[in-house]
Amino acid sequence: MVPGLAALQCFGLGLAIVSTGWTRAASPAEKMLKFFLSAGYGLGAFSILYLVLRVVGGASLLSMDVVALALFLVAWLLTGRLLPAATVSPAADDDSPGWLRGSITAGFAAGLCAALYSAVRRTIAYPNGEGWDAFAIWNLHARFLFRGGAGWREGFSGFIPWSHPDYPLLLPAAIAHFWSYVGHETYAVPATIGLVFTIATVGVLFSALLILRGRNVAMLGGLALMATPSFIEQGTSQYADIPLSFFILATVVMLCLSDASVGASLPPPGWIALAGLAAGFAAWTKNEGLLFFCSLLFSGFWMLAGGQRVGETGETLARPRSFLLLVVAALPILLIILWFKRVIAPPGDLFVYSATTFHQLSDLARYAAIGKWFGKQFFRFGHWLWVPGSLLVVGIFPAFRHWGAQNRGDRVAAGQQTGFRVCVAALTITLCGYFVIYVITPYAVYWHLRFSLNRLFLQLWPSAIFLCFLRIGIVGSKLRPSERSQNEV
Amino acid sequence: MPRKNRDFPARLAIAVLILVCGCLLSSARLVLEAPRGHIPDEIARRSDLRFAGLKAALPTEGVVGYTGSSADSIGYYYLAQYALAPLVLDHSLNHPLIVGNFPFAAPQLPANLEVLRDFGNGVLLLASKDEP
Repeated sequence: MVPGLAALQCFGLGLAIVSTGWTRAASPAEKMLKFFLSAGYGLGAFSILYLVLRVVGGASLLSMDVVALALFLVAWLLTGRLLPAATVSPAADDDSPGWLRGSITAGFAAGLCAALYSAVRRTIAYPNGEGWDAFAIWNLHARFLFRGGAGWREGFSGFIPWSHPDYPLLLPAAIAHFWSYVGHETYAVPATIGLVFTIATVGVLFSALLILRGRNVAMLGGLALMATPSFIEQGTSQYADIPLSFFILATVVMLCLSDASVGASLPPPGWIALAGLAAGFAAWTKNEGLLFFCSLLFSGFWMLAGGQRVGETGETLARPRSFLLLVVAALPILLIILWFKRVIAPPGDLFVYSATTFHQLSDLARYAAIGKWFGKQFFRFGHWLWVPGSLLVVGIFPAFRHWGAQNRGDRVAAGQQTGFRVCVAALTITLCGYFVIYVITPYAVYWHLRFSLNRLFLQLWPSAIFLCFLRIGIVGSKLRPSERSQNEV
Repeated sequence: MPRKNRDFPARLAIAVLILVCGCLLSSARLVLEAPRGHIPDEIARRSDLRFAGLKAALPTEGVVGYTGSSADSIGYYYLAQYALAPLVLDHSLNHPLIVGNFPFAAPQLPANLEVLRDFGNGVLLLASKDEP
């Protein structure tokens, strides 16, 4: 009973936050997207509330949650009146033959069943998670928060270096929040949170593509993610990589939706704010999320400056107001991260050996070795059977492009694409950042690559699938009315 | 005006089918490699259950020392830390109370350590003679 009510409270809080930024969901696909986004935003908010309570003390957790929920409900009502409702005209399906549509549907259904079966079996088999990081980092930090009383900060001292005490606390604090409601520790909480993030990531990918590119493209994109064995394995391992991939994807989706919004002359401020909030939650999940956030800011700023130069300031992030809104939405979370890094956590392990860093940066053989490993890992990171999913996703692009060029000519317009371009740039910069981290790592580089690169690729994989299928959809499916009108001009 | 697409090209259909079939191969791997039957919870056995007795004998918070055998990997240290949190285990002997973790063999303790209590399974509570 209590866990169910806590889950309801968490989801309700997430729904109130998402609905504050997205006041009206017109189509079933939009409602579905809001549903899956709410699950992740709720968990993010739960972690922030728990940490604030831990620091401030005094109030009860339940009363704090109720007040936060009430505040967001009021905000929802206010924004519903003040902000213009933003929506996206749903995409029509391509005119593919019935047998092909049936094949895609059957494949998607089979992939969904396989992914759910595997995820549930793994969750039951490994209640403490699978692998080192689950207990030595994330659940250990959750225990320090939950059991620690007034002295919880000691758990984040430099005495336990391999537990990475500088890692942000979204996952541990969300787990501790639920344990506080239940009254004791239970393995079911981290296991369920892992499962929820895994399912929600697939849900966000599927429903966003459903809105923007239609049913067939959505099923292909969803299948590509669900059929990535590493994605399911990591999602149920109680690591933070899949939660991070969720928030990166949520950021990317909200920015690309802003590109496609109709009925408003300006980019919907609520959607930009939700993107900023998701990017903030990404930074609060893992240090790599902080890198993604910085990459997003850099890309946004770059687009802002470039847009003003070439006079394209009508587009999503090429407006100073949109850019500022993105930053402001993430600001409360960034302040908490700043406080945590400055006051609680010791310095990160990757930046402590400055004497060797310069030598490593000037070692060209190191770049070549890391580049080679990146290349190999591109085909391997998903633990696919025989055919790499990365190759499948990239490989289908030329076929669709050829078809699009044949059938529509080369002037295939896609409407505003600033959000899309910002996301591609942000993910590319993040990937480059990962590369640089390996260059300067104080650990043996092959050991570091071997045990982490596949997870880093997985963090970006759902967003990469989304962006790739978004492009495929532009050339492969019927244009939405808004796109069609632009194409006809 | 965009041309209406009436004939879906076979080439594109083949590309889509290759994608679906390729994905389903990996979906099959997910099903085939899914864990079946009862798998003993190793982390709980090597962590919470093993250190339950020691936990009751230690203070609930603060910092204590830690030592283990050379064969004791860093993993065993973290299993102990996981069980005993929020008590912090400092991997050093410079503390009045020290947790001894020797899962594989009888410990070879330094002369300045004395065993306060043996909890079995290689779990020891030690005291430093040098520390006040």
